[in-house]
Amino acid sequence: MSLEIKALIVEDEPVLAEVNAAFVQRNTNIKVIGIASTLSDAKVMLEKFNPQLVLLDNYLPDGQGIELFDYIVNKHLATYIIFVTAASDMDTCSHAIRYGAFDYLVKPVSYERIAYSLNKFRLFLLRQSSPKNLSQRQIDELFNLQTKDFADSQKSTKGIDVLTLQRIQALFKNTVDELTVEDITYKAQISKTTVRRYLEYCIQTNFLKVEIRYGKIGRPERYYKQAFI
Amino acid sequence: MIRLYLTKFPLLFAQKLFIALSVLFALAIFIMHQYINGITEANLYTNLGERAQIQAKEIAAIPELALAVKKHDLNAIKDLITLISEQSDASYIVIGDKNATRLFHTENVAINVPMVGDDNQDVLKGKSIIIISQGSLGQSLRGKSPIIDNDDVIGIVSVGYMLDRLNELHKIQSYPFIIFCLILFFFLFVFSYIFSYLIKKQMFNLEPKEISLLVKMQSAIMESINEGLISVDLNYNIIHINQFARQFLNIPQHTDNLQGTNLFLYILSPNDLLRNDDCLLEDVYDRISHFNHEAVIASRIRLIFNDKIQGWVVTFRNMNEINLLSKRLSQVQQYADNLRALRHEHQNWLATLLGLIYMQRYEDAKEFITRQSSHNQQQLDFITERFQVPTIAGLLIGKFTKANEMGLELEFDPMCQLKNIPNKLIETEFMSIIANLLDNAFTASLIQSHESTIKEKKIIHLYLSDATDEHVIEVSDEGHQIDEAIKSSIFKLGVTTKSKGHGIGLYLVKTYTEKANGYIEINNNLPQGTIFSIFIPK
Repeated sequence: MSLEIKALIVEDEPVLAEVNAAFVQRNTNIKVIGIASTLSDAKVMLEKFNPQLVLLDNYLPDGQGIELFDYIVNKHLATYIIFVTAASDMDTCSHAIRYGAFDYLVKPVSYERIAYSLNKFRLFLLRQSSPKNLSQRQIDELFNLQTKDFADSQKSTKGIDVLTLQRIQALFKNTVDELTVEDITYKAQISKTTVRRYLEYCIQTNFLKVEIRYGKIGRPERYYKQAFI
Repeated sequence: MIRLYLTKFPLLFAQKLFIALSVLFALAIFIMHQYINGITEANLYTNLGERAQIQAKEIAAIPELALAVKKHDLNAIKDLITLISEQSDASYIVIGDKNATRLFHTENVAINVPMVGDDNQDVLKGKSIIIISQGSLGQSLRGKSPIIDNDDVIGIVSVGYMLDRLNELHKIQSYPFIIFCLILFFFLFVFSYIFSYLIKKQMFNLEPKEISLLVKMQSAIMESINEGLISVDLNYNIIHINQFARQFLNIPQHTDNLQGTNLFLYILSPNDLLRNDDCLLEDVYDRISHFNHEAVIASRIRLIFNDKIQGWVVTFRNMNEINLLSKRLSQVQQYADNLRALRHEHQNWLATLLGLIYMQRYEDAKEFITRQSSHNQQQLDFITERFQVPTIAGLLIGKFTKANEMGLELEFDPMCQLKNIPNKLIETEFMSIIANLLDNAFTASLIQSHESTIKEKKIIHLYLSDATDEHVIEVSDEGHQIDEAIKSSIFKLGVTTKSKGHGIGLYLVKTYTEKANGYIEINNNLPQGTIFSIFIPK
């Protein structure tokens, strides 16, 4: 099923805008219907051409690109935004996130990353447009496409190394001891920041449970022990 | 002349009051004296006049006198009157015949001449009179009575008191009164002095003009400051409230007469700042409180007058405004510092790029550029993927960049995840915990990296997870370790180890954590630094 996606590029640097447009058209078959170099131009083009996607640069001669989010919400336009920002301007990113930008790219943007994002967007639109009634599975899929999942799969165990996990679990096996972070750090010879990750993972997987005790000078301390004891 | 003197040495209010009172009292006493003097004088005249008249009547009624006058027997008259005059206090007694010719005078004045005074017409018609007139001896008060024989006036008796003597008598009578007046004036003088002194003391040695200026100035100050100010009495009735406080508490502007209305009409009642056990005992400075769910930093000062508490003065600032202000200030400073460094870096960067392109090493150029942003892009992707609360994601992006700008590195634990914030906290409170812990970690690491000789990036490690039935926030830095001795005090308001800190960050962390029934653990990081771990039940 073919789908014509109209995109608008908002970028005040003409050379970069042109190159980006060429890249988008050639590599993703998304149709670039215009290049706006100012915020006011962008607004006019948005209303005129009603593109589904805007590649939005933040710094523009007559204002900040982030203002366009408001404009789109107020005008009830069915437009998604991929926000492009300089690394030094990441604060603005938090706004973009709140407004629900489809993706956020840090300048200088690698073309692989743009391609990845654009393909995902195409997929997103494709799924959205196919059947009238969506199944829960499809909704979840859509949602997952919007909540970014660029990291490797099995994210829930990423950062958990089996050997280290075993080393920590061994401390609790065949014992009823309750251990603090200090104890475990000392016995397993793992850094404290790492230990916390593993301990919380063990709680998550119901291997350990935690108990709070008020130690010296009334400060609470966490004691970890095996869950099924 | 007086005016000149006055402008040169302007009289103080108390002095003016003293002088005015003294003058008033002196005037009052003078008028009183004059009045009473007049009364006593009139009384004296009436009394003596009547005495003179009675004596004259008595003398005139003596039959031997009448006979002697009738016979014109001067010697008989002389014997008779001399005898009487020895018993009388009158200055003189004169007997005249029906033609007002003097027949006898006790003071040996010429006889057989007309009586002096020209006042005998009424007497010769048969009337007794009292009169003051000029006699042969001078001004005198006289009582005159006709001598009557068979209904005919045959002579005149005149009993006189000299006015000189009268005045002397009057003087003697009025001396005690004058002394009384003087004593009274002295006491009133002293009273005015003490009174004006006390007034002066009560007015803090200020002139009324100064006081009114002060009052005007004070209300102007109170209205102009960008800080809420309320003073209440012991029953929390409003004594004064300024513009800022009115606006903050949403009290309508037209409510002019707030005086006496209860403050708790406008502030939700159980308030930890205003209704507290220590209200009467101590003043409180810069405590975080809530007025109608809005966080404020407030001070409460007792209003003590004459060693008794009369009420409280509460001043407060909106906490959001303070946070915003300090944030802005620190940002400006940072930007200025960073800009120079950035420019320099940028030039180098462009030079390298130009070099690579010139040498036609395009792949290298591409990689060189991509490398600049890829780390940021990865972090960004990681953050937005793992922290699904947009505001928290936004906050962490901000902190990540901030760390970079400071020459530090904020490292996210690979197991980080956040789907929701704790139920008992609002988003900003949860953000505040994270932000304050990170800011503290940044500062601590920065101090350490300035001190240490090894120039490598200090890493701040963040673990934030809600995978279990708790929210766990753990921030570790590579700064100094916290002394065991001060560990329990670092959460108190105002306690800071930073040279320019205000000691609010950790206080907020603790306040919000406890609000959500969570708790805090502090551990030492190895080889150096501190780990703050916060556990908040879902």
